[in-house]
Amino acid sequence: MSLTKKTQDELDRWSKEVKRGAVTLAILALLSKRKAYGYEAVKLLDKKMSFLALEQGTVYPLLRRLEKRELLTAEWDYNDPTKPKKYYTVTQEGLKALEAMTQTWNVLSREMRGVVMEVEN
Amino acid sequence: MSSNDPLKLIEQYLERVRVYLPLDSEDAIVELQTHLIEEAERIGNGTMTAGSAMMAIERMGEPKSVANEYAGSGEKVGPVPAEYANPIARIAIVLVGIATALIIGLTMLGIPLTQLLGADIQNWPVSIPIIIFLNIFIIVAIVGIISLFDREKPLTDKTTLESIFGLGVEGFKPKGKLDALGDLIMGVFWGLVLMIPGVVVLYTTEFAEIYMLVVVWLFLGAVRGALFYIGGENNFNLAVEGILSAVWISFAIVLLNIGWPIRYVYAYTNGSWGYFDLVGFFEANDIPFIPFDWIWAFIMFITVVIAVWRIFVSVMKITMYLRAGKGIWWQGNWGKRRSLRTPLWKRMLGEHDQFQQKEQTVRHDGYTEPDESQ
Repeated sequence: MSLTKKTQDELDRWSKEVKRGAVTLAILALLSKRKAYGYEAVKLLDKKMSFLALEQGTVYPLLRRLEKRELLTAEWDYNDPTKPKKYYTVTQEGLKALEAMTQTWNVLSREMRGVVMEVEN
Repeated sequence: MSSNDPLKLIEQYLERVRVYLPLDSEDAIVELQTHLIEEAERIGNGTMTAGSAMMAIERMGEPKSVANEYAGSGEKVGPVPAEYANPIARIAIVLVGIATALIIGLTMLGIPLTQLLGADIQNWPVSIPIIIFLNIFIIVAIVGIISLFDREKPLTDKTTLESIFGLGVEGFKPKGKLDALGDLIMGVFWGLVLMIPGVVVLYTTEFAEIYMLVVVWLFLGAVRGALFYIGGENNFNLAVEGILSAVWISFAIVLLNIGWPIRYVYAYTNGSWGYFDLVGFFEANDIPFIPFDWIWAFIMFITVVIAVWRIFVSVMKITMYLRAGKGIWWQGNWGKRRSLRTPLWKRMLGEHDQFQQKEQTVRHDGYTEPDESQ
């Protein structure tokens, strides 16, 4: 199905909004399983969440913001002095937020699926 | 000029990013550095070359945008675009700091500002907005012209404008670890030297009465050096530096008034060591100009300018760190960023740079050829 420019623009705008909402949840979910440093997180997200198409320019600022909001905590590892790594882990507060976000996300996706299936049928 | 050394390329690029970042952004820089090295290694299939480093840099993008995206380069201030707000504010602060330091130093020497500038400001206050407008116009014109020369430069080369903004970054760099060690050693050394009886006898009568204050100040300076060596730059150490600088300025006023502190120097004459009267020599030989008080005034001027600058920077940084929610003491940074390279002494001993030795391609038939960087 080829899209007109107007539809494509609309899709782009909508995708951007969906991604914006999903990215915090994605990062918290990934980091709740294992700690990761910036580059690692960028690559993990790139591999597991291709739809989000997250680039470093999005991931790093978000990691910083989440750290500032105390949902993530960070610790430097200087074992390799040429490549010091800042490891991010989810805090207790972050885990609570993740749990609440996951519940909301599940409700949203279940209801959305229902609505979208009605349209498809 | 662009280098062929991948690490140098990354360092040069990060220097450009640093220009647009707030002062306390060392963590962001190190994080970017690690990102670039790992990305360059990934592109080069485990080997970092000049080409792969350049590709990683190009993927990251324009330093201005990177600074804005990664760490927030600031907010738009009046007509100043957001990404320029930090460097412009920093350079303005440097200029104000230098001017303040010079004015205080000159005032101590008894030279009024109007005498220094050569004239009073005419037609005040109407002339002020006209001067500001003309200066802004000239600055915009200069920036526009120098930007023309930077259009074709690669991402790793600083633009002319960034080189100017970079002066602000240099002015606010934290004290280096070796500098701090130097402060510690020199403080103790000179403190001890000033107390040696054989040195004390050389002082003028006036200086001999107060030299212990200078000794105490030198020892306190050594303590400051030790604190910076241990803790890097943090609010406690900055406060100590600010207070000691303020104490020095008040000392300087006294020292300036008592004049040149050394009456005699040791001289070897007629087979034995004796005292040589410095001022007496000029008087005995009818030399009309005795330069010592002038030399002393110049030394005091320089030390006061440095002390004022240190107070200025300390106050500014403490305010900045307090705003960022940092406390009083933490393990702070030192001036020199962690170097990516093997130190010179290790290289002289034959220990190669861990990245440099990878800069060659080994063919399956065992033939080794240098990379494109050579």
